Amino acid sequence: MFQKILFATSATEACDHAARVAFDMADRYQSHLTVFHVLGVPTRAYSQVVVDIRTGDKVILDDDYRSWVEEEVKIHYAKQLETAPETSIEVAVGLPHREILRKARDTQPDLIVMGGSTGRDEESAYKRSVAGSTLQRVAKVAACPVLVITRPAASFWGGFSNVVFGTDFSRASDNAFDFAVKLARQLNCDLHLFHALDISAMHAGKLADQDEIEDQIRAALKQMRRRYLKRVKDLPNISIEVWEGLPYVEIVKYAREKQADLIVMAHHTSAAQLGEARLGSVMEQVMVRAGCPVISVNRSIS
Amino acid sequence: MPEGTLCNKSPIQTEAQLKELLNDTSGKLYYQELNALDVDSDKLWATIQKTCKSRIRTWLEICAHCGMCADSCFLYLVNKRDPTQVPAYKIQSTLGEIVKRKGRVDNAFMQMAMETAWAKCTCCNRCGMYCPHGIDMGIMFGYLRGLLYAQGFVPWELKIGAGMHRVYRAQMDVTDDDFVETFEWMAEEWEDDFPGLEIPVDREDADILYTVNAREVKHYPEDLAEAGILFHLAGENWTITSSGWEQTSLAMFAGDWEACKMQVEHVYAAMERLRPKRMVGTECGHAHRATVVEGPYWAGRADGNPPSPSIHYVEWLAEALRLGKLKIDPQKRIKVPVTIQDSCNYIRNHGLKLATREIISHIVEPGYFIEMSPNREHNYCCGGGGGFNGIGLYRKQRNQALVTKRDQILATGAELVIAPCHNCWDAIRDLEEEYKIGIKWSFLKPLLLKMVIVPDHLKPRT
Repeated sequence: MFQKILFATSATEACDHAARVAFDMADRYQSHLTVFHVLGVPTRAYSQVVVDIRTGDKVILDDDYRSWVEEEVKIHYAKQLETAPETSIEVAVGLPHREILRKARDTQPDLIVMGGSTGRDEESAYKRSVAGSTLQRVAKVAACPVLVITRPAASFWGGFSNVVFGTDFSRASDNAFDFAVKLARQLNCDLHLFHALDISAMHAGKLADQDEIEDQIRAALKQMRRRYLKRVKDLPNISIEVWEGLPYVEIVKYAREKQADLIVMAHHTSAAQLGEARLGSVMEQVMVRAGCPVISVNRSIS
Repeated sequence: MPEGTLCNKSPIQTEAQLKELLNDTSGKLYYQELNALDVDSDKLWATIQKTCKSRIRTWLEICAHCGMCADSCFLYLVNKRDPTQVPAYKIQSTLGEIVKRKGRVDNAFMQMAMETAWAKCTCCNRCGMYCPHGIDMGIMFGYLRGLLYAQGFVPWELKIGAGMHRVYRAQMDVTDDDFVETFEWMAEEWEDDFPGLEIPVDREDADILYTVNAREVKHYPEDLAEAGILFHLAGENWTITSSGWEQTSLAMFAGDWEACKMQVEHVYAAMERLRPKRMVGTECGHAHRATVVEGPYWAGRADGNPPSPSIHYVEWLAEALRLGKLKIDPQKRIKVPVTIQDSCNYIRNHGLKLATREIISHIVEPGYFIEMSPNREHNYCCGGGGGFNGIGLYRKQRNQALVTKRDQILATGAELVIAPCHNCWDAIRDLEEEYKIGIKWSFLKPLLLKMVIVPDHLKPRT
């Protein structure tokens, strides 16, 4: 399931929670882990100047600088590397999202692990222009699932056993479902299928009566049974639930109640946003709020 | 005749030489060696006798030193009207002197000429428009750069740049395989959103052959994706070429005439092989100048044209919008104050000002477009043209040069600057980084993609 994991990191504190999960997973599932750091953003036309992602300094790139950064990454993860000596450390130059995607295309990992936003460099003109967020851009087009940890993953203890799959019945959600099922089967997880009925329109003045809401819940449940349940009859521990509310709040609450150690969801972005890829807002909110890792699946997992 | 190991009169010929030069961080050794580099005066004078023809000789001769060119030069204006920044002075004190002294100049003179040619002129050719005699100092500086390059007096980054063209036929270390592979990768990334999106490679007799800037391949392949998607949506019969796809020429900035010729001939060979009806180049100014405007002469083409009729991206886009091949959702037009940067290389020097205005009329909500002042063929250089952007040695001068464009943009009150040229885009990004005036900047392609209507038959199944 997770033979090869690509952990894309800024090698700063922002990625420390993600690092914990990445190293734990590699240990638990005997995965080959590659720690991948993009050291700089090329700038100044065709010159050799790059902006170092970690320090924000403009540096002249040469082999010495590259090996110095590699050493820095090793030092940042020195403790984890003690117990995982097989881990590869790699450093690249370029725009982070592009280089992560390039690496993923070359090495075909089963999973990309990423942390939250570094949140720095807001002042940098370069970042504002080209990088909405590395995570968003990677999640949009990666051919493999992307696991994101932005908060301390309190309920993650080194492996997955309790997975929540959130759906909005889209085609992308079907891809996410396929992945969730594969994962549940191979790792013997409990699988909780969940849909949140979006009643946020009520705030905009549309007041649905309770009967209508309950009708919709019943319809959604029916759809879930038809669409998903028949395909996972063999799994021993399946639950299915539809709640009404604000979707991202309900998903996070549901995952907390189920003590989930993983949420799997589909990614939504329209093509019009090519230049500034955004995650679907529900996904984005779940990522920053969930107490467990979140896996974003965009494309069908072959 | 001392020549350095890195700084010398021989151009880069091999990948190993290129790497050696690249590994000399910031050109430290290179510039040390430059101080000891001898001038081969005999060769210099022989070259001048062979290549300095009647046009340039006449220009040097008839300049009346009237000073009309002074105010036309943004570098003169932005450097407190320093008299040594007057275009006529700049060219007379360098090229004029070399000719007058029949090439008998020393190292210090050549270093002064080098700084003048690369840090005091961006070859924007604006002075040529204002000279009562029509003397174009930009053209002459281009020529001077060639003389300097042949003697080894060239900024480190540009020796590398020209070397890249010699080794890779591209301005960066991007191979033909890298190019095709990257374009195909982009199609993979977007095929779910645009079913049927494909990147035709080496299709013969296509309507359009698309050529690019190697930087798009190396760092911003989204640009390739956007180009491919827009051709796809417009229903064009287009292709890329697996070889001869690089439209730019750092060799032109460097004054490496031989590499200039090698580079365009490589692109022309692709045109001859694939016989496209037209070649469309990416949103780059100097690439257009190199491959479409000057290239035919470098390659010795009698008709002064590339083998296939060649147009700039803005011409294709204006046409696609005019003919309705691409349709814009009126709701999604730009509704923030916006201005456009007129690239010297295809606006002043190739007359495409109406194409960009036509595009603006389609993509900007009426009332939101503000012209810079001056504009169109009178517009000022972005501040980073002619290779200025990439030269570390002249960073300080370049940053000062950006002030003109900064103030022009500020005067428009625009929040967004459309810059359909790689050099302008870079310069405007750098001026935002340097002076933080709170603007955004963009090529046309990403803006178009946000507002173009996707025909029903090209939409993904839901």
